[in-house]
Parts: sequence; structure tokens; C-alpha cells
Amino acid sequence: MVDAFAYVPAVVLLPFFSFLVALGAGKYLPKGGAFGGIAATAGSFLLSLWIATAVAGGRAYNETLYTWAAGDQFELTFGALIDPLSALMLVIVTLVALLVHVFSLGYMNDEGETGLPRYYAGLGLFTASMLGFVVADNLLMAFMFFELVGLCSYLLIGFHFREPGPPSAAKKAFLVTRFGDYFFLVGVVAVFATFGTAAFAGEGSFPALAEAALAGSGDVWTPGGLELQTWLTVVGLLVLGGVVGKSAQFPLHTWLPDAMEGPTPVSALIHAATMVAAGVYLVARMYGFYALTPTTLAVIAFIGGFTALFAATMGVVKDELKQVLAYSTISQYGYMMLALGAGGYVAAVFHLTTHAFFKALLFLGAGSVIIAMHHNEDMWDMGGLKSRMPVTYYTFLAGSLALAGIFPFAGFWSKDEILYEALVHGLNEPLLLGGYVMGLLAVPVTAFYTFRMVFLTFHGEPRTDLAADPEPVRWNVKGPLTVLGSLAVVTGFINMVPVQKVLGLEGIDYLHRWLDNEWGGIEGLSSHHYADLGPYSSGYIAGGEVPTVLVGAAVSLGLALAGLGLAWRLYNVTSPTEHTAKLGGIKDVLYNNYYLDELQVWIAYRTEDIAGGADTFDQGIIDGVVNGVSSVSLLGGSRVRRIQTGLVTQYAAMLTLGLIALLVLLGVNGGWFL
Amino acid sequence: MILEALIGFTFLAALLVLLAPNAWAGRLAFALSTVPFIGSLYLWSRFDAVGNALTGGTIAFESRYEWVEVGGRTVSWFVGLDGISLPLVVLTTFLVPLAILSAWTPVDSRQSQFYGLMLFMEANLLGVFTALDFFLWFVFWEAVLVPMYFLIGIWGGPRRKYAAIKFFVYTNAASLLMFIGFMSLTFALGDSIGSLALPEITQAIADGGLETWFGISPGRMAMVAFLAMFAGFAVKVPIVPVHTWLPDAHVEAPTPVSVLLAGVLLKMGTYALLRFNFTMLPEQASALAVPIAAIAVISVVYGAMLALAQKDLKRIVAYSSVSSMGYVLLGLVVFTEYGVGGATFQMVAHGLISGLMFMAVGVVYNATHTRMVGDMAGMADRMPVTVGILVAGAFGYMGLPLMAGFAGEFFIFVGAFGAPSLPYAPVFTALAMFGIVIVAGYLLSAMQKTLFGPFRLETDYEIGPAPFHDVAPLAVLLAAIIVLGVAPDLFFEMIRDAAMPVVEGVSVDV
Repeated sequence: MVDAFAYVPAVVLLPFFSFLVALGAGKYLPKGGAFGGIAATAGSFLLSLWIATAVAGGRAYNETLYTWAAGDQFELTFGALIDPLSALMLVIVTLVALLVHVFSLGYMNDEGETGLPRYYAGLGLFTASMLGFVVADNLLMAFMFFELVGLCSYLLIGFHFREPGPPSAAKKAFLVTRFGDYFFLVGVVAVFATFGTAAFAGEGSFPALAEAALAGSGDVWTPGGLELQTWLTVVGLLVLGGVVGKSAQFPLHTWLPDAMEGPTPVSALIHAATMVAAGVYLVARMYGFYALTPTTLAVIAFIGGFTALFAATMGVVKDELKQVLAYSTISQYGYMMLALGAGGYVAAVFHLTTHAFFKALLFLGAGSVIIAMHHNEDMWDMGGLKSRMPVTYYTFLAGSLALAGIFPFAGFWSKDEILYEALVHGLNEPLLLGGYVMGLLAVPVTAFYTFRMVFLTFHGEPRTDLAADPEPVRWNVKGPLTVLGSLAVVTGFINMVPVQKVLGLEGIDYLHRWLDNEWGGIEGLSSHHYADLGPYSSGYIAGGEVPTVLVGAAVSLGLALAGLGLAWRLYNVTSPTEHTAKLGGIKDVLYNNYYLDELQVWIAYRTEDIAGGADTFDQGIIDGVVNGVSSVSLLGGSRVRRIQTGLVTQYAAMLTLGLIALLVLLGVNGGWFL
Repeated sequence: MILEALIGFTFLAALLVLLAPNAWAGRLAFALSTVPFIGSLYLWSRFDAVGNALTGGTIAFESRYEWVEVGGRTVSWFVGLDGISLPLVVLTTFLVPLAILSAWTPVDSRQSQFYGLMLFMEANLLGVFTALDFFLWFVFWEAVLVPMYFLIGIWGGPRRKYAAIKFFVYTNAASLLMFIGFMSLTFALGDSIGSLALPEITQAIADGGLETWFGISPGRMAMVAFLAMFAGFAVKVPIVPVHTWLPDAHVEAPTPVSVLLAGVLLKMGTYALLRFNFTMLPEQASALAVPIAAIAVISVVYGAMLALAQKDLKRIVAYSSVSSMGYVLLGLVVFTEYGVGGATFQMVAHGLISGLMFMAVGVVYNATHTRMVGDMAGMADRMPVTVGILVAGAFGYMGLPLMAGFAGEFFIFVGAFGAPSLPYAPVFTALAMFGIVIVAGYLLSAMQKTLFGPFRLETDYEIGPAPFHDVAPLAVLLAAIIVLGVAPDLFFEMIRDAAMPVVEGVSVDV
């Protein structure tokens, strides 16, 4: 039998080949190389399914495939690590990438965009980089593909480079995430210095070494005699810098709304399955390390909870469809971080999965609306699209219900589990409890902005001629929407933990069992092991586990419905108005995103000022001294000027003199002339 | 004999081109310059050195003839290669043909002299990287300056005279300092050396051959010599604060000369630092590790900040070299396998990447006749291929993984962070690493302003894609950068082998 794992490199390389083909020959190919990309991602998707089946068959894979640099001090390698987590992620990424490719036929080709080979090359490289990141078996390889993901986001966000906006947004995306990646890179280097390896899995992996060292067996390097636990916390926080940047967590989230300048299918890919997902995936990938340092976990949880609420509030006042979705992405990744920080490894992966599908769906739905509206994204120009584009409406509605966390759509299950984990673990941990409260408060806000968006876009009467007569979309748009719409409805059923707990039905928490290596996996990389390592104990309210489950779910569902209800009252009317004036002074703050962009621009300008000062210093003082010395040099100023008239023969003479002096020196020393 | 043939052929080629008519000097020079490259590939394929040439390793292609006897010291023609010098020889012979190609468009007067001088410079550079006798090495070292002086002074920009003289006097004064430092070291070695061969001197110092000379104790003599040589080579590298000749020289130099200046000439400085300061006097280097690391960090951050302040594309790239060379210095001073090896690898990587950047900026300049950031916008619309490669090169400069620059920088960082011989190594490393953020800042803003957005440039002619012979060298360089980034062990393996003896020269008290 052919081994599925032998095709792991092919999963990564297929989209890479589609990149090469599109780049090299795209302009000679039909549809600008789109079919190559579709074929490649479809191939990767099928291979990923096969690989997942192999994992379900009880197997796993952890091999070094290529030695990048074979030093004695450290061996730097590339390899593949296939366990339940990466197998699941492979399926998600390749599926979303495939659907995005198909959708692009409708969004890019049918809309007569130019530069399509560049577009499809970018998509191919983006997918390949992300897949390389997902299968990475060590932190260095993960970092390298993480950076390539950043490059691809730059290329695709700035796709319309002839306009002023996209290049600026692309620069911001790369620069802000690069700032986070700086810390990540320091973390990678620190991991090598500390453990001598950056492998994720196995006996000699750095999480295993850290665990052993903390348990007192095994010795690892720490700088300046720092206490081990402190140092591991520092390293964990350093790597977290990259996560905060890529997963757009506060305060490095500012690039993401600007990144909406990119073509909409790219937004879908960035938000659902590639770049933003990379950060959270990284924490999950090395969760065995994070679980060892309670401080890091608490920080992750608090940042996550805060970001979830913070971003959600900004989503409330946005006028453009994609902007609302952008802030919802930031907020939803905040939930995943909250889950990871709260010890809810499975909950985080669960939400990563459901979010991938419903957010890809919402973006592609938005893309469909944007096609229909001839690239007008302002929701106030829409209205009444429900009856005019039913497929888009109903799929978009499914995605919105999932995003808002309404029973029984996918998002309900995953968000509920996150809040549950944060609650039961947080009862004894104040920082975590703070994260939980913020996460809970974000629930009604999320439901509110989501349905504000739905009502403004699809309900009521068309507010413009464009909305009254939208451009129809074709199968290549409706197809991906239908697939993702179905997934947004059903994905939640892979992990119905509350049902299991309340009704006592054993075994329907498939994702828990999957991530706990019940079918197959790698020792030390299981949710069970992480729970053992983690610092948390569970507490319950209302007298036990089942009541806690029920109360928690009821409260979050109730809050979501309240938010939805408010949106219904305010915006589900024939001709809605803004209502934002009711927010008073907060409105301006929210419109301006808490002035954080201004703050970052201010920092950038001050840095430029410092650079300008350094330049003045360099030209005036340092170079001034040089020129000063030369003008008062041995020959005196006037003679120097005469030399500077450019009689190069004099310089040749000087050089000769120098050589003669050299010989004389040698000779004197050696007694040549004696 | 093969090294003699390589250097000799290059000299002959220079002479031949000098005598050729201007009309086809460029083509002749290109054709002839491919021969040394093929020769260096042959050297690479037959390379069999083990260890470091200076510390008693097996030297590849060794060739030694006694030349003259000076006061009991033999001066020899002594050349050979090890894992540190071979990559630099390959880099030199690879860059020169590409630089010559890039000269076809901009150089439009006295071509035979221009190309003749380029080849003359190449011959001397090969001499610098192969010579293992101090006297021979120094002759080549000084002789590199002469063609460089003329290349900037004749074919340069409006302030070419100032820049050429500044370059010449500054680096020559530095050479003098270095020369005095080294010679006093050899005097203090007294009878323990019988020649000026670098391996012999290195061994003699390691064996404690330094004696009291004119009342100067061996320890003090070694320290003084170290400082004098360090100062001398620092100018060449250049290291802050002796870097100010570099931007002037680059701004005035024509594109192909900038390519060699940044690509190869700066590496003479770091190569010499490695060979002389860090291999011969490791104890002194180790004792001064903290101040040297501080200078390295300052070079990285300060150079990057200066680059951020520039409005001239070429000045931006010029200052970023200062920053990149700071990484090399940091790698050298930590005395670890990845530190010293990474520094050497970074010399090659930076040679390729800065060469590509200067070349690409030059191709844009050929079309625009301005390099000022504010003067143009949206160049990607008119020169898509050139701009595409320029963007790729810029990401290489920012240290994008799977390109050579990342490999060099990462090796240095990972080698430096936990280095036992450097106190506060993690702090120094983390500070230096912040350069990767600043470099992204200035390159991304410069690209956004000049390459993207709506096209804007006031000219009375149409701007179109660059000719093939301008774009081809860019593509070749980019390919080389990616190949080395994906498979750094092509060079890094032999570099490590030659770097290890240097590292082992330092005993660490933990």
C-alpha cells in the first residue's frame, strides 16, 4: 500500500508549482492560470483528506526531510509533523484555498481584472506557504513559512498597486506583523540557545525538554542565571509577539482592517485559513510549551478576551461590509486566544475550524454582494438584496448566525465551549476570569453588529439603484457559498460537548477524541497531555458540572439573542437610520478605532524624526570631523585643495611612495641597508 | 598553478580590454570575465581544503614560491584557498561579469578604460582573497584602491572628485594604520618567524612567540596591534563611526562600480578582520568582546536609522550596507560556529543582495535619471519585471526566509544569542536583531513611494521596460540568492569547517 505520508511534501509543493506556472506562463494560459491553481489546491485537498484518513487509521508522522544547515552547534532542518492537529488544519486550509480559487473565477476573471497571472501566482504561493507552516516540525521552519505567509499577504493586499490605498495597506500589514515577528525571531533564537533544538514533537523536542527541566531532570541553558520558570515565560512571550502580530491581536491588530484593500477572495483566505489563523495555530502547535508557564497562559487569555471585546465594539459603527467583517475577525481570533490561555486547547482548535468555514463564507458572501453592487461596499447603499440574490442571502445568513453564536449553528458550539472553559478554569484565576467576562460581554456586541450588517445589506428596501438591480453572479460564486454555507451549519456537530454532558451521551465529542489521539497521534501532543501540564483546576457554579454547562450556554445564547434583537429593532425596518448618535462621544472614538492608528502613525513619524536627527548628526558631526581633519592635514588646506583639482597622477605617486615606504620599513627592520 | 592562472588571466584580460576599441570593449570584457567565473567553479568542484588556512589546516590549490628575502624574513608568492576564501572568490568572479553587463547601458564614454579597470580590480580582489603572505596580500589590498579611485573619479556623478579622493585618502590612511599595527606585531615576533606567511605568523602568536620589543610587553603589543588593525579594517568595512566615505562613494559611483564596492570591496574589510584580528589575536578580540559587540549593535541600528532618513534610493541601499556589516561584526566577535560561520556566509549573501539592489536601482535610474524618492511614483506600471525583481531583492534584504540574507542573519543571531564568550550576549543579539524591523520600515516605504501608486514622473520621453541585458543580471542574481537561501550548505558547510578552528582558538571561562 502506498503511504499517505509520503505525499505530505506534495501537499505543500502542488500549490507552489501552481505559483511557478502562473508566474511563468500565466499569461499564455486560459483564465490567467486559474485552472492550475484550482487543480493544485484540489490535489492538495484530496491528499490532505487521505492523510487525515491515515491519521484516523491510527498513524502519525514526524520526519526530518531536509537539512538546511548541518552545524555541530545546532542542526537546522525542515521536516513534516502530521498529527491530528496538523491533519485537521491541512484539510481546512486546502478546502478554503480551493473554494477561494474557484470563487476567484467569478470575482476576478468575470470582473475583467488585469494582472491575473500575478494574482493566481500570489494565491498559489500563499497557500503553499501556509501549508508549509502547518506541517512544520520545528519552530524555525514554522517561522520561515510564517514570514513567507507575510510576504504573500503583502503581495496580495497590494495587488491593485496602481492605486494609492493598497500599497500603503500592504506595507502596513507587513510592517506591523514584522514588528511582532521580531519578537518571534528572538524567541526562536532563544529556543535554540536554551534547548539546542526547536523540534515540536518527540523525546528531544523543546516542549519535552522544558517539561523535563522544570521537573528537575535535565539541564537547559538560561541567560545570566535567570530562574528557569521566568526564562521559559520570557521565551513564551517572545514567540507570542509573532502570534499577536499575525493573528491581529491588540495592540498589533491595526493592519487587518486596512488589509481589506486586497481583493475580497484574498481577504477570505487571509482571515479564514492562512495568515491570521497562523498565529493561533502556532500557539496550538507548541501548546505543550505554553502549558508549562501559567503567566504566559494568563497573558494570552487576557489579551484574547480583551481583543474579543475591543474589536467587537469597533465593528458596531462601521459602514462598509468588509470593515465589519474585518473587526469580527480580530474579535473571533481573540476568542481563540482566550481559549488557549484558558487551557481550552480543543475549544480553540474547534473555534479555529468553525470560524474558518463561516468566516470564509461571510467574506465570499460579501464578495458576491460586492460583485452585485459593482464594487460599492457601503452598506448604506444596499438594502433589499435578500430577494434579489437568495443564494447569497441564505448562505450569508447561515454564516452570520454562526458568527453571532446562535444555536445550533457552528459558531454557537465552539464559542460556547470557549466561554465554558474560561469560566470553569477562571473561577480561581482572576486574570482569566477577567478574560471570560470580556469574552462574554463581546457576545451581544457580536450578535448586534453581525445582524446590523445582515439587515442593512439584505433587508428593507433597496436604498440605491445599484441595490435595486444588482449584477447577477454565476455558479463559480454560488458553488463555494453553498459548500461553506452547509459547513457553517453542520461543523458544530463534530463536538457537541454540552449535549454530551447534559444528556450523558458518551462519545459524540469527536473533536475532543480526535485531538486526544484516540485514533492516532504522537505521544506528548494530545489534549489530555496538555491538560495534565496546565496549571488549571476546574470550578463550577450553580452546584456542579451540568448546571454550569446549562447556565453558561443559556447566558451566552441569551446575550446573543439580545444583541440580535436590538439589531432587529433598530435596523430591520424599511428605511433604517444610523442610530450612532445615541452613542454620544464614544461614537467618534469607535469610528477612529480608539485612535490607535493615529498612535502608530505618530510613532512612525517620531521614528523618522529620530532618523532625521541621526542623519544631521552624521553629516554634521561625524562627517564634519572627517572633512575637518582632512583640511587641516599635514599638507595644509590650500595644498589639499590643489590636490583635489583631480591630478590623479599625484595619487598614483602617493601610492608608489607608500609602497616604497613599506619596503624601506621592511628593509630597516631586516637590516637590508646595513 | 591554477590560482596563478586565474589571477594572471584576469590581469591579461584587463590589458586586452584596455587596448580594445571602445565600441566593443563591453562585450569583450563580459566574454572574458566569464572565464574566471568558470575557473572559480572549477576550483569549487575540486576544492579539498580541510580546516582553516591560517591555523594549520590543509590549504587547497596551495602554491608557494620564495620571492625575496628581507632581513631574515622570506617574502613569498604564497596563495591558496580554504573554506572562508573560496566563497569570496566565487562571489567576486560571479559578480564581475554581471556588473560588467550592468555597465553596458550607463557607461557611454571611454569604455575600454572602464572595463579594463573593472577587470584590473577583479584581478587584485582575487589576489586579496587568495594571498597567504602578508606582503603579497598587502600589495593586492592597496592595488584594489587604484582602479576604484579612477572608476569613481572619472565615471562618477557630479561630486565624483570629492567622493573619489575621500574614498582614497580615508581608506589609505586606514591601511597605513593597519600596516603599522601588523608590522609591529611581526617585529615583536622576533626570531619566532622566518617569513611573512600568514599561517606561520598565526602559529607563532598562538605558540606565544611574541617578545618584549622596545620595552613593550607582548600583551600590550598584541593589544595595540589589534586596535590598530581593527581601526584600519573598520574603515574598509565600514563600521560606525568611520563609515562616512561610503555613502559619498556610492552616490557618486556609477552602478557597476557600486555593485562591486558593496558586493566585494566591503568584504575585504570583514575578511581581513576575520583573518587578522579574530584568527591571529583571538584573546584580544575576546577581551574586547563587549565594546566590539556594542559597536556592532550601534552599526546595525544607527546605520538603519540613517537609511531611514535618506531620500535618495542609492543612499538608502548604501547606508543599509553599514547596518548589514554590523551583523557580520557581531557574528565574528561571539566566537561560535554559527556566529563566525554566519558572518562569513553573510559576507557572500550581502554581496549578492546589495549587488542586486544597486543594480536594480541603477536600472530604474537609467530610465528615470533621478533616484530621489519624491521625484517618481508608480514605476511598477512601466517597468514591471525590473520592479518585480527589485521588490524580491528588497525582501531579500529584509531577511525573507529561503533567501540568502535570512540564512546569514539567522546563523549570526542563533550563534550569538547564547554565546558563552560574550557577556550579555542575549541583550546584544536582541538589540541588533531589531535591525530587521527598521530595514523593513525604510525599504517598504521607499518602495511604496517610488514603485507603487499612480505613475508619476516628469520626463519628455516614454519610459518602457529595460533592455534584456539590464534585466538578465538581475534575474541571475535573484536566482543565486534564492538558491543559497534554500541550500545554504552549498557554502556554509565549507565555511563552518574553516571557521571552527577560529572558534576553538578562544577558550571560554564560564
